[in-house]
Amino acid sequence: MRKGMGTLAVLAAALAFGLPAALGGAAATTPGVTAHSILLGGTFPLTGAASSYAPIPRGMQAFFSYINARKGPDGKRGVGGRQIIWKYYDDAYNPTQTVQQTQRLVEQDKVFALVGGLGTEPQQAVRDYLNQKKVPQLYVSTGATFFGSDHKKYPWTIGWQPDYQSEAAIYGRYIRDHMPNAKVAVLYQNDDYGKDYNAGFVGGLGSANSDRVVATRTFNVTDPAVTTQLVALRASGADTLMIFATPAKTIQTYATIARLGWKPGHIFVNSVSAAQVFINTAVQLSGASTVNGSISTYYTKDPANPSWDNDPGMKLYRQIMKKYYPSGNDKDANYFYGMAKGWTIVQALYKAGKNLTRESLMNAVNHLNDSTNPFLLPKVVVKTNAPKDNFPISQQELIQFENGGWTPISGLIDTRPRG
Amino acid sequence: MRLRPAALVQLVAIAAVAAFVATYPLYKSDYEATKLTLVGIYLIAILGLNLLTGYSGQITLGHGAFMGIGAYTTAILVTKTSISDYATIPLAGIAAGLIGFLFGFPALRLHGVYLALATFGGAVAFVSIVQSTHYQGLTGGATGLFFGPLKNPYYLTWGICAFLYLVAWLLVHSKAGRAFKAVRDAPIAAVSSGVNIALVKTLAFGIASAYAGVAGALLAIRLGSVSPLSFTVTLSILLLTGAALGGLGSLTGMIFGALFIQFVPGFAEDHVSKTAPQVGYGLILLAVLFLMPGGAAQLLHRLGTLLYRTTRPLYTRAARRAEAVATSTRSRT
Repeated sequence: MRKGMGTLAVLAAALAFGLPAALGGAAATTPGVTAHSILLGGTFPLTGAASSYAPIPRGMQAFFSYINARKGPDGKRGVGGRQIIWKYYDDAYNPTQTVQQTQRLVEQDKVFALVGGLGTEPQQAVRDYLNQKKVPQLYVSTGATFFGSDHKKYPWTIGWQPDYQSEAAIYGRYIRDHMPNAKVAVLYQNDDYGKDYNAGFVGGLGSANSDRVVATRTFNVTDPAVTTQLVALRASGADTLMIFATPAKTIQTYATIARLGWKPGHIFVNSVSAAQVFINTAVQLSGASTVNGSISTYYTKDPANPSWDNDPGMKLYRQIMKKYYPSGNDKDANYFYGMAKGWTIVQALYKAGKNLTRESLMNAVNHLNDSTNPFLLPKVVVKTNAPKDNFPISQQELIQFENGGWTPISGLIDTRPRG
Repeated sequence: MRLRPAALVQLVAIAAVAAFVATYPLYKSDYEATKLTLVGIYLIAILGLNLLTGYSGQITLGHGAFMGIGAYTTAILVTKTSISDYATIPLAGIAAGLIGFLFGFPALRLHGVYLALATFGGAVAFVSIVQSTHYQGLTGGATGLFFGPLKNPYYLTWGICAFLYLVAWLLVHSKAGRAFKAVRDAPIAAVSSGVNIALVKTLAFGIASAYAGVAGALLAIRLGSVSPLSFTVTLSILLLTGAALGGLGSLTGMIFGALFIQFVPGFAEDHVSKTAPQVGYGLILLAVLFLMPGGAAQLLHRLGTLLYRTTRPLYTRAARRAEAVATSTRSRT
């Protein structure tokens, strides 16, 4: 028992000396911000099943290096003379690791804000914690709708890209308006991601036209094949196929329908999977005739699509990649995505002003209006107006795949106002 | 009682670990302490794995799934009933233990690599089942279940860990433990000495799974949530790797195994290769296997013997001198 008392005494002493110091320190300065630097952190799958997204933080790194080296509009390097320091850790797409690494960034590295964290489930696992600690969880790399729509409960969290529901609603409305006789088969991934898409699609089509959907099938992301689902969908006599899946599963779906000899006529594929690199693989595995005519949406330019080769934004991207991440394959849309997101982060930091606090950053993020992002489609405005609108990017274009590339088939479609 | 030198080193190692663990949160941050909480959780899991694979000789690539069963038991009980999270820990152990015990029956017919494959299949199936739409109301599907804030059950984890370590030690040094080893090393001789092989094997599965279930429950409490992504086959492989590197068939070795699971992947990322952490991890793994093929336990054993050998001549010389002095004084009188 004497030993126990000793431990208690040590504990009491630690509390007595440690606590006031900790409280005093927190009140005096904002974590992660000095006169010369801003420390940002994030978690990404650098290893494991989802490691194909690993280029995203590296694209961000390249962009921050560029910002730190160039002179800004105020004649200072970095953001208002502060260098951006970017710390990202591997969570292997495993929420256990996301929690560990996020706590490490917040409590040990003392980052100013978390930006770009990847994955619906991993980011959901730290959302409560970050909001409770009032640490900004900005521009998560997922389009799950609730990261925007739960603003009231989680005011320190926000997404970036168009949410899955509004994207799918565009497909729904397109079929409602242009394909009155369509017989639609829906294949979606059985998780929040796929369900978000399906819900948006059904909403966009409208309940009056719900009879155009003749069959719906789901699959688990861990399923080795989607053949049984596709056989059932073909048997429904559908002439239009919606694929709401992650890139690997989308490619597999194309390959499988080619093998089954099914020609649905119209295929809609979600934006995440429509990046040129993925579609090129789909063409290789299933033949151009299967993929041609597919419809999707986009909101960023695509580094693998040669039609952007002379675009100033694309040139800037290639120049930054060449200088700051020469070993990266600059055709990989993930680097490009990271860079486009980096641009928005820098804009938000500028808007938050010289007196940078977590509150001032959130205020900037919640009332952003930036039409300068050179990596997004022309005229796309990154705009928020909390608490009414918490979806930074809400404009997309419908695109169709022909002759090895995507071409726009609509103007910019704005999904604001929502509902 | 005379202690063998290796046993003495083991005892000293355990005492050192216990002292270190008990005082660690006093001078380290909350975050640093959470890392040791995870070490404790992994230690509980691989203590069980060691009983199954190290002592009864049944290899498994599905241990992570039993952690998952424990974690989901806790998450489901907390969300659906009014049981407090800590009270679910024994229930999670029992649930995983029962399922493990039942899984042991079909496993009876399989040996070696075939058993590894069957357990691997079980681990894959577990993830698919919890994600499936059929049980979504219960398991939360692919999203999982969220039931509480992040916690750091540090002393609880290590308390349970110490208790289960003792249980494992008692088991290994009992009649049952000898039966485990007999089944592993000489199954035919074991039968002829009256050991019920089927019972021993299924019991080993049950006990190992109960350990995993308790570890899973603690992990769920730590995270305040469960997700199928936390219990993929990767976890099972990591646990088996940790146990093998610690030294299968040694309880002390598991401490090193748990440290390995928690710290080496991060170390590889920070210090070996930022762009290809998996390569770094693989290199460390290879180095460890080459330098100490019997795991950390073997290294510890060798260290103990070495220490004994280098110090023994001193003792014997001193003893001889004392004896010489004694005889000379005796002869003088």
